[in-house]
Amino acid sequence: MPSRRALSAAAPIVAAVGAIGVPYGVLAEASGFPAWLTVLLSMTVFAGSSQFALVSVLGAGGSPAAAVASAALLNTRYLATGTAAARVLPGGRLRRFALAQLVVDESYVLGAAEGTAHEPDADTTIVSGALLYAGWTAGSLVGALFGQVLGDPETVGLDAALPALFVALLFPVLTDRPAVRSALAGLATAVVLTPLAGEGIALAAAAAAGLVAHRG
Amino acid sequence: MIAAAVALAVLTILIKGAGSLLPEVPDALARRLGGVAPALLASLAYVELVDDGGAPVLDEKAAGVAVAVVLAWRRAPFGVCVVAGAVVAAGLRAL
Repeated sequence: MPSRRALSAAAPIVAAVGAIGVPYGVLAEASGFPAWLTVLLSMTVFAGSSQFALVSVLGAGGSPAAAVASAALLNTRYLATGTAAARVLPGGRLRRFALAQLVVDESYVLGAAEGTAHEPDADTTIVSGALLYAGWTAGSLVGALFGQVLGDPETVGLDAALPALFVALLFPVLTDRPAVRSALAGLATAVVLTPLAGEGIALAAAAAAGLVAHRG
Repeated sequence: MIAAAVALAVLTILIKGAGSLLPEVPDALARRLGGVAPALLASLAYVELVDDGGAPVLDEKAAGVAVAVVLAWRRAPFGVCVVAGAVVAAGLRAL
């Protein structure tokens, strides 16, 4: 079991991710996704930003191929977090492959806070990942079913909650100079590449830049 | 729509699990993986604040995130940062 400290760190993050699942469900519904498919995406993809990308590109009339490509590119960053997590996840390849589905930005950062960035604490990563999975799925379901009743998520600022969540996760990991250098390298890469290559490539390149800049 | 959803699900599951199927990376590279989380979180926050052309937009959302940055920098608790960001964005829109 993860430590009490890890669980209390995870609780508000799970709540925020659940809340952000609501506007995803609303957007998916507005883009013409049936509720069952909206929730099924959360249960299989379980990667919020790429789900937002998929439903918004399709909702804007984009081709399915373009929607899948941009959404999948957003997830290429999980090659890096999945590689770090694979070092500590228990069991054989199949079990680790299954558990790796719970390794997302938030559970990886929580696990790294209890262990190290290249060897995150396995229990914390898995348990917080499972809680995030439940919260994200529940939020998506609420948004998909009750979107019209809830109104526009922007009026309550839910669109600002996602970047605020990333910011709130970022500052605690800036514990030493290499981490700060990596954050700045990633930010600079995103600023330069987003207008040129789009978000997915910019994020993957930012992850790579962070890796290169991390000399301790 | 269903085909697109299935395609994204399969790709994402493979991407997330790839690290578990491949051989373990050497220690030197693994240590560098420590740079991925800070770089990702900074860039993930940034790409939420750009328009369709990839240029940053200074709107109510950005103002909310700016407040979250100051709070996070001053070591405010996680929930305070997120709620303050949302409340500031909503408040400015309501004006």
